Amino acid sequence: MYSITYHRASSVEEAASLLTSFEEGKFIAGGQTLIPTMKLRIAAPSHLVDLRHIETLKGITVEKSMVTIGAMTTHAEVAGSVELHSVCPSLCALAGGIGDPAVRYMGTIGGSVANNDPAADYPAAMMALGASIVTNRRTIVADDFFKGLFETALDDTEIIAAIRFKPPVRGAYAKFPSPASRFAMTGVFVAQADDGIVRVGVTGAGLSGVFRQTGFEQALTNDWSQAALDNVSVDESMMLSDIHANATYRVNLVKVMAKRAVAAASGMRK
Amino acid sequence: MTYVSMTVNGRTASAEVEDRVLLVHFLRNHLRLTGTHVGCDTSQCGACVVHVDGKAIKSCTTLAVQMNGASVTTIEGLANGGELHPVQSAFREHHGLQCGFCTPGMIMTAVEMIERAKRDGRTLDENTIRHGLDGNICRCTGYHNIVRAIEAAASQMI
Amino acid sequence: MRKNSGLGASLRRYEDDRLIVGAGSFGDDLNLPGQAYAVMVRSPYAHARIISIKIEAALAQSGILAVLTAADYVADGLKPVPLRPITVSPPDIPAVNADGSPIFIPPCYPLALDRARYVGEGVAWVVGESIELCKSAAELVEVEYEELKAVSDSRAALDSTTALLWDDLKSNVVLDGRAGSAAAVDEAFQRARHVVRLDALIPRQTGAPMEPRTAAASYDPVAGKVTLYAGGGSVTRPRGDLMHMLNLSNEQVRVVARDVGGNFGTKNYTFPEFALSAWAAMKLGRPVKWNCERIESFLSDFHGRDLAVEAELALDETGKFLALRSTNLSNLGAYPFSFIPLLKGTELMSSLYDIPAASARTMAVCTNTPPTAPLRSAGRPEAMFVMERLIDLAAKKCGFDRLELRRRNLIPRANLPYNNPYGMEYDSGDYPGVFEIAVELADMAGFPERKAESESRGLKRGIGFGNYIESASGAPHERAIVTVHPEGKISVIIGTLSAGQGHDTSFRQVVVEFLGVSPDAVEIRTGDTDVATVGGGSHSGRSMRHATTTIAKASSEIITRGTRLAALLLQLPEHQISFHDGKFSSPAANRSIDLFELARVALEQREIPEDLRGVLQATADVHSTVSSFPFGSHVSEVEVDIETGAVTVARYAAVDDVGRAVNPMTVDGQTHGGIAMGIGEALMEKCVYSETGELLSASFMDYAMPRASDLPSFTTHISEVPSTTHPHGLRGGSEGGVTPTLAVVCNAVLDALAEFDIDHIELPLTPDHVWQAIASRSSR
Repeated sequence: MYSITYHRASSVEEAASLLTSFEEGKFIAGGQTLIPTMKLRIAAPSHLVDLRHIETLKGITVEKSMVTIGAMTTHAEVAGSVELHSVCPSLCALAGGIGDPAVRYMGTIGGSVANNDPAADYPAAMMALGASIVTNRRTIVADDFFKGLFETALDDTEIIAAIRFKPPVRGAYAKFPSPASRFAMTGVFVAQADDGIVRVGVTGAGLSGVFRQTGFEQALTNDWSQAALDNVSVDESMMLSDIHANATYRVNLVKVMAKRAVAAASGMRK
Repeated sequence: MTYVSMTVNGRTASAEVEDRVLLVHFLRNHLRLTGTHVGCDTSQCGACVVHVDGKAIKSCTTLAVQMNGASVTTIEGLANGGELHPVQSAFREHHGLQCGFCTPGMIMTAVEMIERAKRDGRTLDENTIRHGLDGNICRCTGYHNIVRAIEAAASQMI
Repeated sequence: MRKNSGLGASLRRYEDDRLIVGAGSFGDDLNLPGQAYAVMVRSPYAHARIISIKIEAALAQSGILAVLTAADYVADGLKPVPLRPITVSPPDIPAVNADGSPIFIPPCYPLALDRARYVGEGVAWVVGESIELCKSAAELVEVEYEELKAVSDSRAALDSTTALLWDDLKSNVVLDGRAGSAAAVDEAFQRARHVVRLDALIPRQTGAPMEPRTAAASYDPVAGKVTLYAGGGSVTRPRGDLMHMLNLSNEQVRVVARDVGGNFGTKNYTFPEFALSAWAAMKLGRPVKWNCERIESFLSDFHGRDLAVEAELALDETGKFLALRSTNLSNLGAYPFSFIPLLKGTELMSSLYDIPAASARTMAVCTNTPPTAPLRSAGRPEAMFVMERLIDLAAKKCGFDRLELRRRNLIPRANLPYNNPYGMEYDSGDYPGVFEIAVELADMAGFPERKAESESRGLKRGIGFGNYIESASGAPHERAIVTVHPEGKISVIIGTLSAGQGHDTSFRQVVVEFLGVSPDAVEIRTGDTDVATVGGGSHSGRSMRHATTTIAKASSEIITRGTRLAALLLQLPEHQISFHDGKFSSPAANRSIDLFELARVALEQREIPEDLRGVLQATADVHSTVSSFPFGSHVSEVEVDIETGAVTVARYAAVDDVGRAVNPMTVDGQTHGGIAMGIGEALMEKCVYSETGELLSASFMDYAMPRASDLPSFTTHISEVPSTTHPHGLRGGSEGGVTPTLAVVCNAVLDALAEFDIDHIELPLTPDHVWQAIASRSSR
């Protein structure tokens, strides 16, 4: 990789201030995406500001009607959180399926969400849970946060502090992993809120990254069942085609994974 | 450049390194601990797995400076003097290696997998072991004997 | 002692001692004092004329020592790497053009001279003080390219208007030959009751050993000698090639290989980086070290397989096979390095079935892709796939039972030796025997229950069978030098080279078998042309076979000479001396002398005849031009999720005949690894190129490697029908595992999907390929 200067921040303020003092600086969270892209000389920041030692960014808090996950909470910590599992086991399961055990020890929810890889798992969950992304400056709802392939609403020096959401009444994530990368070839997160409204977040399949499948949402809100999705079509022109799966196949996967998510979520209490 | 200092296999290891030096290269080139290997550039093969503060992580996907102050264990630090770690012995007993290139990372992953299960009060079944190796690729063994070795070591350690 | 650690013992491995503690010596572990580093600048175009290469900006960078191009190489009077595609091991069918025309062999320089012919071909060699400095300088090398039309698919390349790689060749077809007898085949097809047809592309696969390729070279100006450190399949072949390329004599080149982190054929050639490292070391007077990065290995390793086949099988009304005809088209890549994948497959197309007539058209074309070369069981997985798929198709379409069809046509044991219709003579074997063992392991009786259980989880379950034969040949000559040292050690110098097969242990077992010593007393030395000056390397299942014959021969000479000396020393007639468990003794006279003591006497004492004096050592040369034919039978069950097309291998059993298993534990290990590689080929592996030669699967993110969670545990059974073409019955066991696997898994998947009446699914059987096949049948 190109030369860099490393800075370790001990607070959010320090981190933000460090980044503004340098040109071509980037935050590094778990590094599981950034380091590989730097090794390939695709990413070329001159300065790295390490967020891993900022204690206020860590931890999972579960209150009656709100879950707060610190941005620097690792996938392993989310997956293994007994507290989180008691209110939203679907998110624990999602985190436990990211990458591999070693990657999960370092990768963070904040890093994943800020990166918005079109095949990452968390963005689908954020959309389906109607989560809020709390930064050091504002709170952005998921619908407004994810803008496109690797694009988010974050400003260059904005830091995600936490993810906040109300646990769904029921929800599940069904992922069909790509055999090589283990990223989602298609991943569908289905969640029903206590007002009965269903949200469906889809990753890995869309040409523009994560999206909400509104046709599925309406059908499932009316009728929470796999059969409700039978006659709802998925727009093939919106689907990604690559060497692993063409658009037609992805259309199929979106529906199959959505149905499997519904099946998994059915009968689950929170 | 940063002066990094960390504990490696129980001893303090320090050096002035460029900030871009990966942990795996710090171990291999600065400390001459060449048992940890590099097998890919997309953080998938696991040949570089070491323990940092008790967790098995990919040393090719982290900078040495990120681990400044941490406690690192590599394959060279596993055996106790002349006594092999049960996982090392099990790999030999069950023919869990052929060319040996993926082996250090495989063993480090296995050790942590078993220790974690022990801490959590779980036993390891074959399916759990196989998924626990999702981050370790072997081209020689077909994994069959690696799984046998891990099962055997786990029955000893847990 | 012999019982426990000679032939047949599952001795735990000596090489593990260093490998499990991280003390292996792999390519990148070597650091030479004062070393410089090298990085290759590679063509981003699949086919382009090189108009100019500007190196000034790169060379001006601090820490850069040299930026070398093909023009520099040629100016130094250096030569292309020798291409020897016509050289085949004697039992294999020859490479001859049917029209008698000579086979075109283009020059292959280590850096592209006037044209780059594949994405990844090297165009400049940057040497500097660190890899990062070299990478940055490499970005400043300005190459002006003129893009040309490019082609990646072998069938498309038959039409030279899509792209023409070699102007002198005028087409892309390098080989167009014939095997078997077309007349006999045509006649048989005339009277056939049934004909089934298969049209398939067996995809390009890359070996992807976990250790990528490496090279390091140092030059000793006083001795005038360059040393290349490079893991591969041999040290003598690269030495010979470097002598030719760099105009050096025997004494001026040394090649050393230490621990090799996997090979599978991928490291068996003299790669450009070998010559470039050596050349740069000589020019700069400093060692030069190069490591292939994984993305680079996808671009520049030699790939395997990539065979397009059209085949037809003719049967009579009882299901007896009458004839087989095929066109086999091999994708050579940009340079014709080897016809072995094409020819070793073609010669075994009839497999272990009795087929009286066969013919094949054997074609090989150049395309704008990296060269292909033998990859584990080169050609045989392709051939077995065709035969086993044709049999299942014949069963389905003509109303036969697929097991009975195999039984009816397997060559009976009594009919061996058997001449197959391509001219290969199978030595010995029990083909029906291994098949019946596989069928028993298959537990057909329990299948309906397992199928129902899969069904209850929404999955289709199928069972697939596949028999195989393969040919262990390889370079004919091998030499072992066995020395008995008075201090209690036996050293063996041999010209093979292990990359994980466990030779350090299994070769010791051979010494134990024939000299009766402890395996601890044995030292195996390979991998250094200064030590093992002669030998053929490891490939094609030759190592164990040749090690056994050479070590046995050398041991026999040592025992003969030792017996004579022992007779003298014990003052007994020779016929009263016997050698047993490391001792020369006469039970009757109750006198004995042990081998090491005898060696000491031979070295130290003067009062013995001259011809018995000196080092107790024997050099055994073996020249083998016959093949031993490993064979076997595998069976597998798969589950298919028809909603997603995902395939899971649920069960896999392998029966493999290795003639005689030296170390059953390592034989099983080789089988496991081969099965895994075969399952990868069947379900997930393919080097994907765009039509015009852009590599689309350039990392493990896109090239799927089987993980532990993709595979089940395996059931293995070693069969040992001694080979009659090997003095000790050995066949070789490292390539059998991968040979039928592609066929077996495909047969199982198609069995699972029987209700959809699918004849063929595009390989590999990825979820989307499987799903597309189902979808296209379901819509009818």
